[in-house]
Amino acid sequence: MEQQLDVLVDRVVAELQKKLAEMGKQTPVQAEPALVMQESEDLIDTAEAEPERTAHVPHPKWEAGLQELLESTPARIGVWRTGVRPLTRTMLQLRRDHAAAVDAVYGEVDQALLDEFSLFTVETQYDNTENYLKRPDMGRILNEEGVRLLQERCQMRPQVQIVVSDGLSASAIDANLRDVLPSLLDSLQSYGLSCGTPFFVKGGRVASMDHIGELLEPEVLVLLIGERPGLVTAHSMSAYMCYRPRKGIVESERTVISNIHAKGTSPIEAGAHIGTILSKMLEQKASGVKLVL
Amino acid sequence: MNLKTRVLGETYQFRDLKEVFAKANEEKSGDQLAGIAAGDSRERVAAKQVLSDLTLSDIRNHPLLPAENDEVSRVIEEGINEKIFREIQNWSVAELREYILSHEATDSELKRISRGLSSEMIAASAKLMSNLDLITAAAKIRNITHCNIAIGQPGVLAARVQPNHPADHVQGIKAAIYEGLSYGSGDAVIGINPVIDTADSVKDILLMTKEVMNKWDIPTQNCVLAHVTTQMRAIRQGAPADMIFQSLAGSEDGNRAFGIDVALLDEADELIRKEGTSTGPNYWYFETGQGSELSAEAHHGIDQLTMESRCYGLARKYNPFIVNTVVGFIGPEYLYDSRQVIRAGLEDHYMGKMHGLPMGCDVCYTNHMKVDQNDMDNLGILLSAAGVNFVIGVAMADDVMLNYQSTSFHDIAAFREVMGLRPAPAFEKWLEKMGIMENGKLTAIAGDPTIFM
Amino acid sequence: MEEQWIKSVGIDVGTSTTKMIVSRLRLGRMSSTFSLPRFQIVERQLLYASPVYTTPLIGFDEIDAERIGAILKDEYQKAGISLSEIKSGAVIITGETASKKNAQHIVHLLAERSGDFVVATAGADLEGVLAGKGAGAQKRSQAIAGNVVNVDIGGGTANAVFFYRGKAIATVTFHVGGRLIRLDERGAVSYVSPNITSWLTAKGLSVRAGETATYAQLQEIALQMSRSMLDYLSGRERQISGLLVSGQQMQEVIPVEEFSISGGVGALMHADPVRDLTEVSRYGDFGPMLGQMLQQVRERETYPFRWIEPEQTVRATVIGAGMQSTEISGSTVHIKPELLPIKNLPILKLELAREEWENPVRLHQEATSVYELGLRLFGSSTAIPFALALSGIGYCSYALLQRIAQELADAYKRYFSESKTMVVICETDMAKALGQALFLRCKGAPEIICIDQVRVEYGDYIDLGEPISGTIIPVVVKTLAFDERA
Repeated sequence: MEQQLDVLVDRVVAELQKKLAEMGKQTPVQAEPALVMQESEDLIDTAEAEPERTAHVPHPKWEAGLQELLESTPARIGVWRTGVRPLTRTMLQLRRDHAAAVDAVYGEVDQALLDEFSLFTVETQYDNTENYLKRPDMGRILNEEGVRLLQERCQMRPQVQIVVSDGLSASAIDANLRDVLPSLLDSLQSYGLSCGTPFFVKGGRVASMDHIGELLEPEVLVLLIGERPGLVTAHSMSAYMCYRPRKGIVESERTVISNIHAKGTSPIEAGAHIGTILSKMLEQKASGVKLVL
Repeated sequence: MNLKTRVLGETYQFRDLKEVFAKANEEKSGDQLAGIAAGDSRERVAAKQVLSDLTLSDIRNHPLLPAENDEVSRVIEEGINEKIFREIQNWSVAELREYILSHEATDSELKRISRGLSSEMIAASAKLMSNLDLITAAAKIRNITHCNIAIGQPGVLAARVQPNHPADHVQGIKAAIYEGLSYGSGDAVIGINPVIDTADSVKDILLMTKEVMNKWDIPTQNCVLAHVTTQMRAIRQGAPADMIFQSLAGSEDGNRAFGIDVALLDEADELIRKEGTSTGPNYWYFETGQGSELSAEAHHGIDQLTMESRCYGLARKYNPFIVNTVVGFIGPEYLYDSRQVIRAGLEDHYMGKMHGLPMGCDVCYTNHMKVDQNDMDNLGILLSAAGVNFVIGVAMADDVMLNYQSTSFHDIAAFREVMGLRPAPAFEKWLEKMGIMENGKLTAIAGDPTIFM
Repeated sequence: MEEQWIKSVGIDVGTSTTKMIVSRLRLGRMSSTFSLPRFQIVERQLLYASPVYTTPLIGFDEIDAERIGAILKDEYQKAGISLSEIKSGAVIITGETASKKNAQHIVHLLAERSGDFVVATAGADLEGVLAGKGAGAQKRSQAIAGNVVNVDIGGGTANAVFFYRGKAIATVTFHVGGRLIRLDERGAVSYVSPNITSWLTAKGLSVRAGETATYAQLQEIALQMSRSMLDYLSGRERQISGLLVSGQQMQEVIPVEEFSISGGVGALMHADPVRDLTEVSRYGDFGPMLGQMLQQVRERETYPFRWIEPEQTVRATVIGAGMQSTEISGSTVHIKPELLPIKNLPILKLELAREEWENPVRLHQEATSVYELGLRLFGSSTAIPFALALSGIGYCSYALLQRIAQELADAYKRYFSESKTMVVICETDMAKALGQALFLRCKGAPEIICIDQVRVEYGDYIDLGEPISGTIIPVVVKTLAFDERA
């Protein structure tokens, strides 16, 4: 009897909560300022105008099934065709996404964002984007000015060194740094870890962390870097972590969390988890394949 | 062995065969990154000129990577038919090129001399060929293989359905398979690149693909492109795999960087023969791509074209069902722009075919290369003309897991329609039974993935 | 860590029989090494199944807790398992037994005697779901991508569950079972459950304690009972058959594609035919006749579904309880291991639309009202009053995370100042970040347990087990109510 009573109470609660929720939905939401409207009155950004993916198969055998397929994957399915070629909107969508990806490679990180987190900028020897793409070795070494700046402005031998770099996607930094970095800083705080002077590396490759490691000798270093952009997202970021980074470190000694973006690995959760990984690295004095997570 | 020549009033003296081989290549950013490329067009043509006069025995007698130091070299060396080699050992590379392109050299003649050629000799011939040479030569060779069905016949263009999902969700993978099948793709293989390299995950995907194949009675083969050791674990746990997959490099240490060696491939070969679920006799799926040896610092100062050819020399040992050059995946530091990608795609396809391999090509690019979808259209048509066994089909060419672009299900249908090509015969019959294709044309229901739900 | 095995036990104390099983569940990494860790239960293996015991009773309707304890002790020994190894599992007290006066006592006793694992005391809805999983109906519904119904018929009740594509969408419980009518070999009826009297009357049937029943009479009752249950499930007739329903009636008719019957009576469907009263009454009740009539209906009558064989009959519930009750949370969480396990937390749900989460005013109102509701329902004490489930957030920015954490922490400290621990369950992968944000605000008063990627609904209860490998939390969600959806 007691259990049935429980069930009864629960049902009442559920009803009550649902009613409350519905009442809430009826309350008019505060009107937004009209400014946004004005700005976009005659020009609607197509990329934003079509945020929901829709299928274009005209007479699918199973309409509901098509939606189910679409929900199961970000792949461009259910797009239909004209003859053996894609529909115009599908083709344009692809071109838009490709343009965003190319922009990410050739773009620059927003200076205001770097200022917001007091990140000063150093450069590698990359020189220009074409050279950056063809000569990965040059993105692994800071230029002389960069070396001097680090020696001048950074705390030496910090417990944790945070480095941010554009890598292959400047827009990955623009899109995710505001979520990942503070969450990481909170995590370091809750583990009681101390952090050196963070900065931004322009034209950086993953292995630039080795050179920085030589210069600043941190116990652990985390590099937040833009990934090679894809079409689903051009804003994906990776976090490379290494215990006592230095020249000659091999790839397997780095720990990586990749695919950090709004629709991939949650940026705030990644930030929090990076803190956990760094604290384990400090505990175990190891990173990469030797680190037990 | 003469390593000296005069071109346009200037004398060129090359140090060794390695230098000749590297500088005779068309321009590639990877050779430049390695610091072995020709400095300018003049030096390039000088190297080609020197190379054209070298004999096949010069090449064999001066190994770029000696067999005692490298097991891939040993596999290549052991694979050479001495009798056939003796017949052609005094040919210059120029003569080899001309023989290959001559009307006398038909499919069966080419297959025969192939047995007397090393991978380096085949690479050398490619260096003397224009793009159209590469197409003309390759178009003569039909390498037909059979796993559950046969592909590679004249007039056939097969396709892999590559239904990758960023988190390996089985339902999402299935959705993309349905899409691909509904466009008539999937005769080469239903092949998934997994994110998660664990036996459980691989097994789940193999089971699902097998289930789809059984449910709709689809004449094709499945494969999950995890590391070979993971696939082996999954197969030993009872996962139904028609084929086994591995990426190859052209040197022993390159393969070590992939976590494989010949002994491991032999072991996997035995396992798939014993415990694979397909008919055979071809059970392997290999992938290659120019530049992978350099990226692993395992190129021994040898150019990326020659290293690629050596991958095929290794692949040939295992009589694969399909071999795929993932031509534009590795990035701009190896192939910078569309010119280089198109060239590499044609070279790889030709060299693979000359090795007797069932060559396919992942006509693809990453977003940091100077390439776009139009270039893929071009290379796709060129390879279709060259008789490529299969290409890759990805929904709208956008691989949402590997983050690069390949060719789409639409593209495959278009290649077939424009070039008068058909799916593999067994698969086409099935497409007709399903009502997706009629007389080689897609029907009104083609493109509706829900016909499989 | 690539994988880990945990042991799980299931115990089913039914109206007529009691059984236990031990299973092991394999947790496998289901994420790439470049992602946040994610584990799943990838394999469930049965290690040991006890014999089927007759449920020991004291007198007519009191379960003999001591003897059940003794049986378990004995069975653990036979299975070669020590209590400390058991990390998860469920105890089910099924059928009419659950409303027996000492059910609570039994549950406490079993909790002590079956290991420090997660113990679930279930209602009929959960039993039906677990039995359906144990019988293989859930898997089957996935395979055929359709609706599959399993009815587990034991001594006291029949628990039906509807699965659609792997998801339990409805349950219903019937007063249908072997021990509802008890008799001896001469047909002398010693007991008729009062739960079926109104149905008997409506059907124009009659049987009373103290009378002697004939074979034909029992046959007719069993046949009518079988038909009524099937009429109800198929929606053919629900006026009279509805009288057999215990608890909530079904609101809708859900078309059924496949149908199976598990439980002790399910097993009796395949027993040799009973030809006389001696054979009918061989267990002291009319169960064998009920099984026989169900089989007859299956063979001779047309209901609009395919009958299939269940994977398990008499052990379906216990196997479901032992092997299918446990889930695991997302693997990046915020916990304090020494506070676990936590059992029987009611769920309070804060479910807002995406825009509402973003609206600070709405968020404040909603957080306040959900806590007020929690206070009214569960009071304020030093214990954990409930687990707060957050739903509908979608993508959560750092700024939003801070606002949510602030609201939740402030309001919790205001309404539940005595409570030492706050439990939050997020729908999406954000538990570590939210847990950390709450922790930085609360600094141990209260402690924070924040997990994610577990689906819970209003009216559910949840048990959180001890962490495995530090961060993987086994969870048993006790769903006690279903929204009916076709």
